[in-house]
Amino acid sequence: MKTRPITTLFSLLTLGVLSSAAAVSYPLIITDDLGRKVTIASEPRRIVSVLPSDTETLCALGVCDRLVGVDDNSDFPASVKALPKVGGLYSPSIERMVALKPDLVIVSKYGKLTDTLTAAGIPVVAVNPESYDDAFSKTLLLGKIVNREAQAKQLVTQMRRDIARIEILTKNAVHKPTTYYEIDPTPYTVGPNSFIGVLLSKAGAANIIPAALGDFPKISPELVVQRSPQIILGPDLATVKARPGWNTIAAVRSGRVIAVVPSSDFDNLLNRPGPRLPQALAALARLIHPELFR
Amino acid sequence: MSALERPTSATRPRLPWLGRTALLLALVLLTVLLALGLGSVRVSAAETLRGVWHGLSGAALTGNDVIVWQLRFPRVALGLLVGASLGVCGAAYQGVFRNPLADPYLMGVASGAGLGATLAVVAGWNSALIPLSALLGALLSVLLSLALARQGRTLPPLRLILSGVVVGSILTAASTYLLLTSPTRILQVYSFTLGSLTFGGWHEVGTVLPYALLGGGLLLLLARALNVLQLGDLTARSLGLPVERLRLLVILAASLVTAAAVSYAGIIGFVGLVTPHLVRRLWGPDYRLLLPISALAGAGLLVLSDLLARTLTATELPVGVVTTLLGGPFFLYLLRRQGGER
Repeated sequence: MKTRPITTLFSLLTLGVLSSAAAVSYPLIITDDLGRKVTIASEPRRIVSVLPSDTETLCALGVCDRLVGVDDNSDFPASVKALPKVGGLYSPSIERMVALKPDLVIVSKYGKLTDTLTAAGIPVVAVNPESYDDAFSKTLLLGKIVNREAQAKQLVTQMRRDIARIEILTKNAVHKPTTYYEIDPTPYTVGPNSFIGVLLSKAGAANIIPAALGDFPKISPELVVQRSPQIILGPDLATVKARPGWNTIAAVRSGRVIAVVPSSDFDNLLNRPGPRLPQALAALARLIHPELFR
Repeated sequence: MSALERPTSATRPRLPWLGRTALLLALVLLTVLLALGLGSVRVSAAETLRGVWHGLSGAALTGNDVIVWQLRFPRVALGLLVGASLGVCGAAYQGVFRNPLADPYLMGVASGAGLGATLAVVAGWNSALIPLSALLGALLSVLLSLALARQGRTLPPLRLILSGVVVGSILTAASTYLLLTSPTRILQVYSFTLGSLTFGGWHEVGTVLPYALLGGGLLLLLARALNVLQLGDLTARSLGLPVERLRLLVILAASLVTAAAVSYAGIIGFVGLVTPHLVRRLWGPDYRLLLPISALAGAGLLVLSDLLARTLTATELPVGVVTTLLGGPFFLYLLRRQGGER
C-alpha cells in the first residue's frame, strides 16, 4: 500500500485521538462465549492464551508483548513459539498457568478450565471464534478486552478489504469447480455454512455437500463418488486412490487431489478463524482458480 | 418352543429349528437385498441388477455401477463377513468360558486393535497399514493375556478373564496417552472404536475372508467338544476331553477371526454378545447349531445395522452405535419375557 506520508500522519493522529477518546473503562463487564458474565478489573497486562486463533488475534492487535504463556498449538506469529507452553485443550497444565501469574487467561469454550482457574482466583474468559463471522466479532471483543478497540476495528476493516480483493476475482469466475473437502478420513467433511465451507465458496468453489447435512457431517463415500467432484482437498492422492470406487471421481482421474496434512501450517491457516483469514482465502483461491492469479 | 415336547437326549425340537432357520435365512436375504438397494444415493432395482451384472461380467462400469459394485456390494459383503465372525466367535467364547457375559473382545482384542490403529494413525502411516497394525495389536493382546493367565499347564477360565480385562485396560490407557499427544487425530481413532464399514471394498472382503473361513471352520469342528465342555471341566476331563488344549485352541481361533474382522471394521460392539444369546433362546444350547446359526444371525444383524446407519439420518451414523441401540432393547425385552439365564 502506497500512501502519502501526510495522510499516514493524519490517520495516525486520528487513531490516537480515537483510541484515547474511546478508551475502554475498567472494570469492564463482558459476556463470554460460555455465556458467563465476566468482570475484568483492569487492563490485562499478563495474558495466557489457550487458543491459537486468539493468540494470533492478540498479536495482530499489537499486544503480543503482553502474552506470558500460550497453549501447545499456538505457533503464529513465530515470536510466540518462545513463550512458556501451558499444555493443550485436552491436557492443560493449570499449575503452569497459575505459576505464570496471569491477570487474564483466554480459553476455548471446550475443556473445563474456567471453574478451576476461577477457583484459583485467576480471571478467565472464553473467546472461541468458530464461524466465518466470529473471525470479525471475536476480534472486536478481544480488542475491547485488552483496550485496543480502535486497532481491532482497523484490523477488521483491513481483513474485509483484503477479502473483497480476492472475492472480486472469484465471484466472476465463469467456472466454479465442484469441490469436496475432507477434514478427517472417517470421512467427515464440511458443509457450506462452516468456517471452511464459507472460505470455499468465497474462493470460487462449489461445495458438493448441501447445507442441510450440517456443518461437519459424517457422510457416505457413495455421495462423493456420485457427485464426482473436480477437486478434492484433504487426503492425499494415494489414500484416495486406494478407496473402493474412488478412482472414478473426476478429481482423482485428473490428479486434482490436494493434501492438507493435519496440523501443518496450511491446515492451521485454514482452521483458524483469526487475522490470517484473508491469507487462508487467498491460498484456497489460488488452488481452486490458479488461472485467476497468474 | 412348544411346552409339550418331551426333552430328548439332544434337547432340541426337530422340525421347529428347521423352520426357524429357514425363516432367519429368508430375513437375512431380505436385509441384504434392501441393503443393496438403499443408501445415500438412490439406485433403482434395475440399476442395481445392472451394476452387479457389469461387475461380474467385467464390463465397463457406467453411471451408478461404481456405487453398486465397488461401494455398496462389497460393503454389504464385509458386513455379512464381520457380523458372522462376531456372532460365531461370541458363541464360541461363551461356550469355552461357560459364561453368558463373554464376548469376542474378552481377551483384549478390542483394546489391542485399538492400540494398533491408534499407533498407525498418530504416526501418520499410510492408511493401508492401519488394519495390519490393528491386527498385530489384537493378536499381541491375546497372546499376552494367555501368557499371563497360564498357571503351570492349565488355563483357568477366571484367570483368563481377569488377565484379559487387565491387559485390555493397560492397552487402552496406552492408546489414550498416544492419542492425547496428537489431538487432531482423535476423531479418526474414535470412529475406529465405534466401528464402521464405510470403506469396505472387495480388497477388505478378500483379506478378512481367509481368516473367517479358517478360524470359523475350526470352531465348527470343535462344536461337539464345546457341548461336552458344558458339563464342567471335571466331567469333560473324565470323558477324555483335553480341556486345556480345547480352551487354548478355541481362544486362538476365535481371537484370530475377531482380530481380522476388527482390523477392518473397527470395534463393533454388542453383535458378539447378543447374537449367541438370541440364538440360544430360539435354537437351544447345542453348539452344533449354535455356532453356525450365530454366524448367520450375526451377519444379518450387522448388515441391518449398517443399513440403518446409512439411511436413518442424512449423514452416516457409526454402525457400533446402531448395533447397540438395536440389540440392547431387544435383548432386554427377551430377558424380561423369559426371565433367568440359560
